[in-house]
Amino acid sequence: MYRYDGIDKEFVADRAAEFREQVNRRLAGELTEDQFKRIRLMNGLYLQLHAYMLRIAIPYGTLSARKLRKLAYIAKTYDKGYGHFTTRTNLQLHWIKLKDAPEILEHLAEVEMHAMQTSGNVIRNITADPFAGATADELDDPRVWAEAIRQWSTLHPEFTFLPRKFKIAVTAAAKDRAALRVYDIGLALRRGRSGELGFEVMVGGGLGRTPYLGPTIREFLPTRHLLSYLQAILRVYNRYGRRDNIWKARIKVLVASLGAEEFAKQVEAEWEKSEQEPVDLPDTELARIRGWFTPKFATLAPASEAFEQAKAADPEFARWTRHNVHPHKQPGYAIADVSLKTPGQTPGDITSEQMEVVAELGERYSLDDIRVNYQQNLLLPHVRLDDLPAVHAALKAAGLATPNMDLVTDIVACPGLDYCSLANARAIPIAQDIARRFDDAERAELIGELKIRISGCINACGHHHVGHIGILGVDKKGEEFYQVTLGGSGAEDAALGSILGPALPANKVAEAVEQMVDVYLRERTAGERFLDTFRRTGVAPFKEAVYADAH
Amino acid sequence: MKALTGNRLADGEAVFWKDGRWVERFAEAQIFGDEAAALDAEGKAKAQGTVVVDPYLIDLIDSEGLWAPLSFRERVRCLGPTNHPQHGKQAAGGDDVEALRHAHGAARSTGRVNLIKRK
Amino acid sequence: MPTLIKSQGGRMVLANDPFTHVDDEEALPPGDVILSLARFQTEGEGLLSDGRSVGVRLTTDEEVEALAYDLPRIAVVALKFPKFLDGRHYSNARILRDRFKFPRELRACGDVLREQAGFMLRCGFDAFEPADGSTPEQWERATRRYRHVYQRGVDARVPAFVERSS
Repeated sequence: MYRYDGIDKEFVADRAAEFREQVNRRLAGELTEDQFKRIRLMNGLYLQLHAYMLRIAIPYGTLSARKLRKLAYIAKTYDKGYGHFTTRTNLQLHWIKLKDAPEILEHLAEVEMHAMQTSGNVIRNITADPFAGATADELDDPRVWAEAIRQWSTLHPEFTFLPRKFKIAVTAAAKDRAALRVYDIGLALRRGRSGELGFEVMVGGGLGRTPYLGPTIREFLPTRHLLSYLQAILRVYNRYGRRDNIWKARIKVLVASLGAEEFAKQVEAEWEKSEQEPVDLPDTELARIRGWFTPKFATLAPASEAFEQAKAADPEFARWTRHNVHPHKQPGYAIADVSLKTPGQTPGDITSEQMEVVAELGERYSLDDIRVNYQQNLLLPHVRLDDLPAVHAALKAAGLATPNMDLVTDIVACPGLDYCSLANARAIPIAQDIARRFDDAERAELIGELKIRISGCINACGHHHVGHIGILGVDKKGEEFYQVTLGGSGAEDAALGSILGPALPANKVAEAVEQMVDVYLRERTAGERFLDTFRRTGVAPFKEAVYADAH
Repeated sequence: MKALTGNRLADGEAVFWKDGRWVERFAEAQIFGDEAAALDAEGKAKAQGTVVVDPYLIDLIDSEGLWAPLSFRERVRCLGPTNHPQHGKQAAGGDDVEALRHAHGAARSTGRVNLIKRK
Repeated sequence: MPTLIKSQGGRMVLANDPFTHVDDEEALPPGDVILSLARFQTEGEGLLSDGRSVGVRLTTDEEVEALAYDLPRIAVVALKFPKFLDGRHYSNARILRDRFKFPRELRACGDVLREQAGFMLRCGFDAFEPADGSTPEQWERATRRYRHVYQRGVDARVPAFVERSS
């Protein structure tokens, strides 16, 4: 993975020093909260219900053992011994003190990490396919481009005071494991007619109060023009994005109001007027970045005796491989999920001890490479089939081996009203209730792929709009109620969920999920996932089941 | 009835006004029956820019003889996260924590801070 | 006269300001003035023939392209920030310098804080009317916080990828 050179190291050190000075000025009263808040947010520090929350950047969801160990240390030393992985592949710590923040940033800088631009009206953390570098179906490693964009967007002088936050995701495979269509900019690497690489550029996707699927504004952009084209998009947004209403300020509103065609015209016009050469990266720099993304695989046989025997001997291991292990491009290797969704636990949370276990496994069994995906789980991308039994055993001992990836208990939930100042309702207890009801590995397997997404407010950090079952917490006269949606998808068949019916009280939500699962099991035809059955039957049978008592 | 709350600048802890200073337990918070006194305290608190961030008044409700915040959100601030009963103020235990846990009649509070509100 | 900080020869210095900002309703004082775009379009011609130096002040709703034809005669372009969070003028500044090659003073006024010093300089601003009582020394320190930059700006700073290849 990318390693900092002297320039990158000095950059994060300077950032930490700047923030220390700014915190001192704030504590001394030389900066007002209004002035300081912007600064604090640009270093990922929020003021929440109980304490400050620090959001640490994990660029394109890639970690090394050293980095993960440092995160474990910071969580243990400055927080309550745990962290929370988010739907943007960052790590949040929920019990931080402002006066400790400068020291934490210095610790992060030691391991080539930071919290820059994880909040604020700036370009945020760049996300990518979590299978990057490991999957056979990619045209290129999207992280090469994510790293190029990360550097270009860091403290970009023109784009530091945008109308609102800005999120960019990059993939290079036909399968969309990064939810491109609901991003401000989604970039999908494609092959052009003459075989060269380029990007399909999607702009104006987003969730929140007004969800949109981003239209393609350019079918093919040669890769060498990536940064100059991004500059054109950002400049049009910076100049014409709305600034009068926080709910209308994202680029999705601009694209929707102009229409994709007109928006594309404006971007192309701006792009043509600007000099591209000073912006686009020279080939030497791209090659330098690319050089860091070339893992050294061993030459192995495609099949592994040890792996096959373990599956035959241990049905639990076999089940884990069915759901938590994925094919790798290199013969003899596999991608192994690390489930942070033990039923009854807080989704996405991980203790410092568990982080140490994963770091050790990453170092020993995964070429020192650990990934975070946007479903709040981790992965070990380069595990030898031979080593999977040992990895499974270690994960199991640490409570990280629930065989439930993409199943009913693999629920995504934001921190919600238990932690977040923006929330209307709690999300975590709803997730725990549902997971406990379905805490049966066989039953979960029988139900199959079912992606439940829970948000505690309309800001949609739990991605409820793209859940097969989406659950949105609302405040009804001070009580926690939940709006259910069905049929969303964040994959390449992207779709926004449809409302099921009137909002349900907290104590009826898990039951409703059971009722809907029963409808699915009753209605499904061979091979249909929950999402497929819903697409065929529509909302009617589900609505009838959940609101039957109302008749 | 109202109470005055904010977050401590240095560590973000939720705190409550009591006679010109700030306490961590809601049970010790000053209860205002008089609007003028409440606004006066809020004014003083807002002038303490290096102590507390964004102080605001919250509505209270009588819950079985004890005062509790009217809004569920404020009760969470008084207690801590419900998924980790050993984290936050609730870990100290005591009758006041129990009372807050069982407080009922939650409704929207006028004193809710909208942190993303633009002026 | 409010403080004017100028960037000269790589340093931030306190400068005399020969220009007076004039509102649309105000009577014109003698000497060099900075007018709104609308007022420049009606009265600018006359003032220029009198031999005055005239500057134009843009709000964030106004586009720098509107100045294109008149730029050769404009002594100063002032971009007014209603709130420091409104970042439209950073794009206006870059277009003014990169595309129109405006060579003279480009000034930031309004809600201008020293925390923005680095960004403003890199977008082509070379004069600043701070709203927070900050000094040229503080502005200079603010611009020197980072030893490196990752992307090209209007200023002469070499981006990281060029540093690396040398």
